[in-house]
Amino acid sequence: MKKKKFNFWPYLLISPALLIVAFVVFYPIIEAIFMSFQNYDLRRPDKISFVGFENYIEMFNDPTFWLAVKNTLIWVIFGVGLQFFFGFILELLLNQQFKGRGFVRAVSLIPWATPGVLIGLMWKWIYDGNYGVLNDILLKLHLIDAPIMFLSQTSTAFGSVIVTIIWQGIPFFAIMILAGLQGIPHEMYEAADIDGATKLQKLFRITIPTLKNVIFITIILRVIWVANSVDIIYSMTGGGPSYSTQTLSVYIFNKATVLDLGYSSGMALLLMFMLASVAIPYIRNSFKEGS
Amino acid sequence: MKRLLFICVVALISAVLFGCTAARNSADPNANNSEDSTGSTEENNSEEGATITYWYWADNSEYSQLMQDIIKEFNETNDKGITVVGEEYPWDGGGYSETLFTAAIGGGGPDVASFKLTSTPLFTANDLLLNLDDYIANWDKKDDIDSNIYDIMKQASGTDSIYLMPWNTQVLYVYYRPSIFEEAGVEVPTTYEELLTAIEKTTMDTNGDGKTDVYGFGMRGATGGQEPWGSFIHARGGSFDDLTSEASIQGMKDFIDIYSNGYAPPTASTDGFNEIIANFKSGRTAMTIHHTGSSAEMVDTFGDDVSAFPFPAGEGQWTSMGDTENVIFESSQHKDAAFEWVAYLAAEKGQEDWTVATGNVPVSKSVQELDFFQDNEFMKASIEGMPFAGIVPIKDTTTEWISTIWPNTVAAALLGDKSAEEAMKILQEELHAE
Repeated sequence: MKKKKFNFWPYLLISPALLIVAFVVFYPIIEAIFMSFQNYDLRRPDKISFVGFENYIEMFNDPTFWLAVKNTLIWVIFGVGLQFFFGFILELLLNQQFKGRGFVRAVSLIPWATPGVLIGLMWKWIYDGNYGVLNDILLKLHLIDAPIMFLSQTSTAFGSVIVTIIWQGIPFFAIMILAGLQGIPHEMYEAADIDGATKLQKLFRITIPTLKNVIFITIILRVIWVANSVDIIYSMTGGGPSYSTQTLSVYIFNKATVLDLGYSSGMALLLMFMLASVAIPYIRNSFKEGS
Repeated sequence: MKRLLFICVVALISAVLFGCTAARNSADPNANNSEDSTGSTEENNSEEGATITYWYWADNSEYSQLMQDIIKEFNETNDKGITVVGEEYPWDGGGYSETLFTAAIGGGGPDVASFKLTSTPLFTANDLLLNLDDYIANWDKKDDIDSNIYDIMKQASGTDSIYLMPWNTQVLYVYYRPSIFEEAGVEVPTTYEELLTAIEKTTMDTNGDGKTDVYGFGMRGATGGQEPWGSFIHARGGSFDDLTSEASIQGMKDFIDIYSNGYAPPTASTDGFNEIIANFKSGRTAMTIHHTGSSAEMVDTFGDDVSAFPFPAGEGQWTSMGDTENVIFESSQHKDAAFEWVAYLAAEKGQEDWTVATGNVPVSKSVQELDFFQDNEFMKASIEGMPFAGIVPIKDTTTEWISTIWPNTVAAALLGDKSAEEAMKILQEELHAE
């Protein structure tokens, strides 16, 4: 039997791309792993040395770290959950036939197309306790007697920031689901109509089951992005007041900017593993579809 | 097979060419570095026609333009053909220093940059700054700057060497609105107790609707607020060295009381520079603490209805001496040209243009003697504050303490989540951590 000749061409052709990916993705990850086992603090460069699990032990004893973990869970669950809820409603509206639908679809994309830092600054001024337009409207509608210090008190700051990320992410869900919706054959709805199905029955028996994969992948992608996002929180509150809006990614950023790279690398790795546990189903799903 | 051979040959040639280019690029800096280290006359000649990059921040758009004008004039008038390219970066509550450090350690930093004393240990520990001892020793205008200022530069580096070229200082004082003081029936405070009373009395409901319209004190709870806060701590006899002493804690209690009694805007826990200035300029606060950098816009807004007094003495007296210096990076290929530029800003035309327009306190003695500085009421408050002005201790913990620990801990205290004692314990431990 003739032995199958090894074809090296695919490997040769793919090798430049693989090398680049290895350099820009795997090298930094390996660097971060090494750093997380050192007291790699550039403010004290002469004291950098291997410290084993010291950074991780410190992390587990650090109340600010646990507050950041708790905030991250709230940030992701409410942020992504409500983005999905409102995105789904928006998508159902945008899928209706009405005059100027194309224009409304384009305009509804604006929050998604706006840079995060700009969104943060914009909403910071909307919420402002002294001059903010939101307080002005609420006062004029006589809904409140005195301005609410949305971003200056721990009880309202985090909720205010979550509203901002929801506002930003709604169009992404709407557009992704809308794209999936376009792929549902119209015949299915016609058949349901003939069978006398109500609108709600069509939504829960046809629309949602057909969109299951799109919804699943969109939620996973958004969970990863939202958990990693720093720009909106940082530009609105910097993680304050009193760490009340500090998520894990903002804590990592704050620690990294003061050059405590060992500690921040350790936290970054933990966040990576937490997100990997969410991303693995997505990757497995992608491979299944690929094969 | 022929095709494979052809690809291999092309790849090999590309690799060789890339390698040669990289080698040449990396060889050039070494060549220049060796020239720099000789300090020869030939080297000075080679600096002619040099282009240097300069990073700076500006507090507002007028100062941005001012700096660009100063750079333009220097480029046109210096007799060595040096070209300075000015690149502005936001101060960002101290984020500027972090950006600068990241750029410098990554090899992408400028030749010269505006700088703060507090960042010195970080940069010198990583050997990023040029030692200026020889340059200053050979500088014909070195005596135009007080030797005390050179000593502060040495203290900041923790060595006997100077790494920072003095440029200007800013001594914090209290801005106040004479018309509001008059309405509230209070005089300019001369003691700390009088200041606390003035803050209380100038908090007013001016239209009788039961809500506060003017707050006595524009408190800064965000990053940068540790400077005015330090004055309250010292006024009770406390100090940065022992923030857990009874005196320091009492100063903190005063600070918290101002907020919790409603004498400062409710947003104070997160108010930064922009907010305290906006609140003062809109008439929402009667007093706030800043330096002469804001005086020009205050006068533009209020005319004669704004004045200043130094932070009054209690059991102790302290105000923050802000500072701005310039540094030259060790990695600069044009160190002599860079020194020409920082010297121009320290004691030549650049010093006069910048300090007169911004109202910052000049370091050049000859510029200090100008009528502008002798007759200005804000400058007078600065100069009166100089004897008790100081800085937050410069340690390797200071940057983090200023940027995250102080604002979050003080916010927790202001919002009632932590007591004064608990907050001060955290601030003490984090500032003096080994």
